[in-house]
Amino acid sequence: MDYSDDPEVAEFRAGLRAWLRDHLDEHRDATGYESAESVERTLRWHRALAAAGYVGLSLPAAYGGHGLPDLYEAVLNDELATAGAPPPPPIGHIAHAVADFAGEDLKTRVLPGLLGCTEVWCQGFSEPGAGSDLASLTTTAAPDGDRFVVDGQKIWTSGAMWSRWCLLLARTERDQPRHRGLSMLVVDMESPGVDRREIVLASGSREFAEVFFDGVEVPAANLVGERGQGWRIAMHMLSYERGPADMGWVGRLGRVLAAARDDVRSGRLPADEPLRRRLAAASVDLRVLQWHVARSLAGRDPGGSAGSVDKLLTTRIEQNLHHVVGDLAGASFVLGDPAPYGDYLWSRAQSIYGGTQQIQRQIVAQRVLGLPRG
Amino acid sequence: MEIELTAEQRAFRDSCGKLAAHLASRWHRGRGPHDVGPSAPDEASWSRVAEAGWLAMRLREENGGAEAGAVDMMILAEQLGHHAVASPVLGTVIAAEQLQSWGAASGLLEEIAEGTRRLAPALTPDLTGFADATGSLAWDAAGAEFAVVPATGTAYALGEPVPFADQTRAVRPLGEPVRTLTELTAPDGETAARTSAFALSLLVADLLGTMQAALDAALDHARTRVQFGSPVGAFQAVQQLLADSHVLTEASRSACWYAAWAVDALPGEEALRAARVAKAYASRSAVEVCENVIQVFGGIGMTWEAPAHIWLRRAHAARAAFGDEHHHEAVIAATEFSGS
Repeated sequence: MDYSDDPEVAEFRAGLRAWLRDHLDEHRDATGYESAESVERTLRWHRALAAAGYVGLSLPAAYGGHGLPDLYEAVLNDELATAGAPPPPPIGHIAHAVADFAGEDLKTRVLPGLLGCTEVWCQGFSEPGAGSDLASLTTTAAPDGDRFVVDGQKIWTSGAMWSRWCLLLARTERDQPRHRGLSMLVVDMESPGVDRREIVLASGSREFAEVFFDGVEVPAANLVGERGQGWRIAMHMLSYERGPADMGWVGRLGRVLAAARDDVRSGRLPADEPLRRRLAAASVDLRVLQWHVARSLAGRDPGGSAGSVDKLLTTRIEQNLHHVVGDLAGASFVLGDPAPYGDYLWSRAQSIYGGTQQIQRQIVAQRVLGLPRG
Repeated sequence: MEIELTAEQRAFRDSCGKLAAHLASRWHRGRGPHDVGPSAPDEASWSRVAEAGWLAMRLREENGGAEAGAVDMMILAEQLGHHAVASPVLGTVIAAEQLQSWGAASGLLEEIAEGTRRLAPALTPDLTGFADATGSLAWDAAGAEFAVVPATGTAYALGEPVPFADQTRAVRPLGEPVRTLTELTAPDGETAARTSAFALSLLVADLLGTMQAALDAALDHARTRVQFGSPVGAFQAVQQLLADSHVLTEASRSACWYAAWAVDALPGEEALRAARVAKAYASRSAVEVCENVIQVFGGIGMTWEAPAHIWLRRAHAARAAFGDEHHHEAVIAATEFSGS
């Protein structure tokens, strides 16, 4: 049992801190997707990180990555969050799908742009009729000689408005059972027949979009892995969507709590004993979450269901934290600076996106605890 | 970074589990409160405990010990909780650790290590920490001869157990002074903090073992109890209770591991802060899990015959010992969230 950094990790951490000291200030406001300008600032931050060698840490060096263990991604997320920096580009899961399943030609064509952050990617999974029940999706990619023809609609596509590429999960095999009929394709978002419509969230964020595909032609060479392998790749990706990024999320929640602590200590916001106890309880939760994520990362089994346990825990702790800091804010929760209320609204999304709280509990009950399916 | 048990530690866990199960098999909750077995182990059981080296392993070599790490002790404590063992191992180990920190004579510590001298720690009347005066209570004191209040250098005989929700542990009032320990001197702040952190980490492990055992039993019940033609564990409402309980248990395990590692690896004050956090979290979680378990058991869970109440009682009692979540969160509120 040892929670301290190995020397190489400590050295990496120190180098990253030094880089952040010199470069963070010009990027500090690169958060959010509320306007075209904020999107541009965010993409500039991603490119700066990539140029400094901090994107694709756990991806093979041959395609623009750095060939380091997953742990380094967690350290990156941890340090960025602790320094108050914007998050790194959320591309690890897409990059791993391509790196671990695509053929040599496709990897060489697309990974350098993805990992260099010169080309933005999105992930086309959810559909209006396929949310929690993702495998029921109906977007088709009909094989037609040396290409596929894509028809259908995706929703909740993060970053679709400014993406060049979409990693698309679509149905290619009409005669196969639903999980086996899916394939993963790399779609050029500038192809004729792609139409995008922005979704504005309740918090004001404009990160998401709907994407419509009307007879979109995709070269057969853009198939990731084999036909019918789409579900397997999607599950592989979901295991990378969490993991190291959780460390950054914990760090960001830590900053929310630290801001509340400063407000209380300075007397800016009054807190009576019951409220101070709730803040203390939230701090207990956050430290435990930090230890849990560290343990989870160290013993990580990519593709396992333990990620559901982590998401349930994170959601519970995050939503409680936002209740407490909202109560501490009093009237200023709804009056004045709208950012804290936006953060609160986003905490409500935690129990919905990436598998709802109810689906996650079912996954834990059935796949982790082995309870029978109803 | 290496956040897991070593192969050696896993083997130790298995051997602890075997003996803990054996000890548990020699204690019976009977048919009701009128019939419950004594919380003090019989002579044969206590000999097994001493032979296993459980009482000695943490002490320094010159005091007859093997200087085991807090992580090893955590492994032992989790198994004692898992089998709801009614032998005052934690009380003895914590009392010995405290006396060692006060520089008690190695003769006494060796006797404790060998199991021939049985001591319990003296806690404040609200059980939230080590006592520094008389009027205190000896915790996990079944079969103990005396308890020492180091600040006064006095060992006290122990009275009859007071009513205590936990059927597997005894709490006893301090009686007449029986002995003076002139050699005791107060430890420095660093050592005192580390000793408290150690005690807390063992209670956290006991809570973890307790909630895991309760949850395992509820899972078995949910798989086999049939209503409306299917196992109740197939109903989503029941699955959600059990899934939440699993999340709380795993988070408590993460807290338990970190706190135990911190006892020997971090400065005393930091280790104590981590232990407070872990104790607060595990205390709240263990009670919630054990209540969920009773819910899953349904009516049978409310009977004396079913073991569910034994776990809930042990969880509540271990939660109170060395401070529950409210106690530790009050400390955190006062140190981290107090206004200027």
